[in-house]
Amino acid sequence: MRRITIDPITRLEGHGKIEIFLDDAGEVANTYFQVPELRGFEKFSEGRPAEELPQITQRICGVCPEAHHMASTKALDNLFHIDPPSPAKKLRELLYSAFYVTDHTTHFYILGGPDFVMGPDAPVAERNILGVIAKVGLELGGAVIKTRMQNHHIIHVLGGRAVHPVFGLPGGVSKGLNEEEIKEVQQIARDSVEFGKLSLKVFDDIVLKNKEYVDMIVSDAYTHRTYYMGLVDENNQVNFYDGKVRVVDPDGKEFAKYAPKEYLDHVAEHVEPWSYAKFPFLKNVGWKGFVDGKDSGVFRVAPLARLNAADGMATPLAQEAYEKMYSTLGGKPVHHTLAMHWARLIELLYAAERLLELSQDPEITSTNIRTIPTAVPDEGIGIVEAPRGTLTHHYVTDERGVIKKANLIVATVNNAAAVNMSINKAAKALIKPGKEITEGLLNRIEMAWRPYDLCLACATHNLPGHPLLPIEVYDSKGKLIKRFS
Amino acid sequence: MKTLVLGLGNPILTDDSVGFRVIQGLRAKFSRPNLTLMESSASGLTLLDLIAGYDKVIFIDAIQNEGGQAGKMYRLNTENLSGTCHLASSHGINLATALELGKRLEIALPQQIIIFAIEVVDVNTFSERCTPEVEKAIPLAVSMVAEELSGG
Repeated sequence: MRRITIDPITRLEGHGKIEIFLDDAGEVANTYFQVPELRGFEKFSEGRPAEELPQITQRICGVCPEAHHMASTKALDNLFHIDPPSPAKKLRELLYSAFYVTDHTTHFYILGGPDFVMGPDAPVAERNILGVIAKVGLELGGAVIKTRMQNHHIIHVLGGRAVHPVFGLPGGVSKGLNEEEIKEVQQIARDSVEFGKLSLKVFDDIVLKNKEYVDMIVSDAYTHRTYYMGLVDENNQVNFYDGKVRVVDPDGKEFAKYAPKEYLDHVAEHVEPWSYAKFPFLKNVGWKGFVDGKDSGVFRVAPLARLNAADGMATPLAQEAYEKMYSTLGGKPVHHTLAMHWARLIELLYAAERLLELSQDPEITSTNIRTIPTAVPDEGIGIVEAPRGTLTHHYVTDERGVIKKANLIVATVNNAAAVNMSINKAAKALIKPGKEITEGLLNRIEMAWRPYDLCLACATHNLPGHPLLPIEVYDSKGKLIKRFS
Repeated sequence: MKTLVLGLGNPILTDDSVGFRVIQGLRAKFSRPNLTLMESSASGLTLLDLIAGYDKVIFIDAIQNEGGQAGKMYRLNTENLSGTCHLASSHGINLATALELGKRLEIALPQQIIIFAIEVVDVNTFSERCTPEVEKAIPLAVSMVAEELSGG
């Protein structure tokens, strides 16, 4: 058997590798997507006061600290049996919306976009943000930087720090916004809405007007019929900060809808001997292996999954964009993995619009931002939508609030099975006997997982001489015949 | 000259905290006007935001080389930093690309960038302590950076 390993997967947070094994005929026999796992979180958190966890858990990931901070804060509300005052919830969602604007902007322009703007076969040296601004214009580059900086500023103002906010407390938040600050937030939100609209236009001009790209998006190599999961509000519209978890089946029909505290009734984890990562699946469907379809418990999370799992977007411009995507791609749900880039930009616009809405809310400058907890703590579960998918924090404490047990299901892990399937299918479709395995071809395999915006091992960046994740191809004798890094 | 010393890493992942630890060591015995000592878990574009406006930046980061000796210290420049933990990777962009982007967008970037990298062992286990060899190397790293600051 020949073997191919993709190592490093370029443009990925964390590290791991993709191995592709070929058979004697040169066809793909199997693929493995391996990720290292950070060790010892449970032990590390044991014996600490639960209130420390919003600060500690946001250190787990260098990319989405705000998501861990928010999931942890909500787990503390639940743990201390406290419902924060309405202005506090709105302030949390405001900060979270600003975070989404920065994160989705980064993914599209730095990670996802270059494949389309520069083309999948462009040399690595050009397939990056520098290539993008060379092609689209410096002005857009400036807008990317400005949008990120401005929204980081909002996080800074509320959280006291630009990256790791000191903000969420059980029962509320540590700081509100005054009249002067909120004016600034409103201006940033208006700018961000314009940037969100511009980004969808860039996508329209560069991707949707190019038939080759649209054909690639809808091609079978990048398509999986799975279940989808995402948080929804009381109207079944997408919400990043709060709501119920909704799961739809591959036909788009609601399969489950549950409160965070019921998550263990719905999600279980499958273990494979070759991977450190666990593979979450829908308990009430069952694990049938790395396969598509209604009988397989594999589900997907992150932007496209959230849009599929909801009935719509809660803001007008995003709703318009939502309808356009589904009418263009043939109705709901959309199973094309590459459409995740489009869905992400619709969410970017939604986050900006939501930021503006919240910044104009009459309650947003209220000083009623915390209810002091008085109940005895025992167990708490908090769920938010991280940019990369549903993120669950679950803590058990003693009566003093000291952690006895902590369990996290990080966003990326929910997609672990689907990522394996995506790589396998793309590799099988693209690698053919007698066809040279070029860098462009391996990049097209990488494009099968890049939309998931993986943040593996949540996310240290340590690699011997290599930044990211390698792809290695092995022949049927186990000899390395191609390495892409 | 406005100088920034930026320790990179993750304070709760064993040896990945070494950049933070060196900054803490410097802070205890080093203070002067126009010098900023900072810890950060950022990378890529966010680093660009952090270093903009300084004349000189010294990064302190963890590094892993194949067969590298734990605790060994390397002095690198932007051309040979690909092996360090936080400067080589990011949410999609490395330091070299970030600097090039900054240049094209006419952001005020430091004239001089130096990287001190410390060979580490474990960056995958949650702990606030470094492994013994790395722990031992911290005082030497602090004095090397201090020397760089006095000399420069």
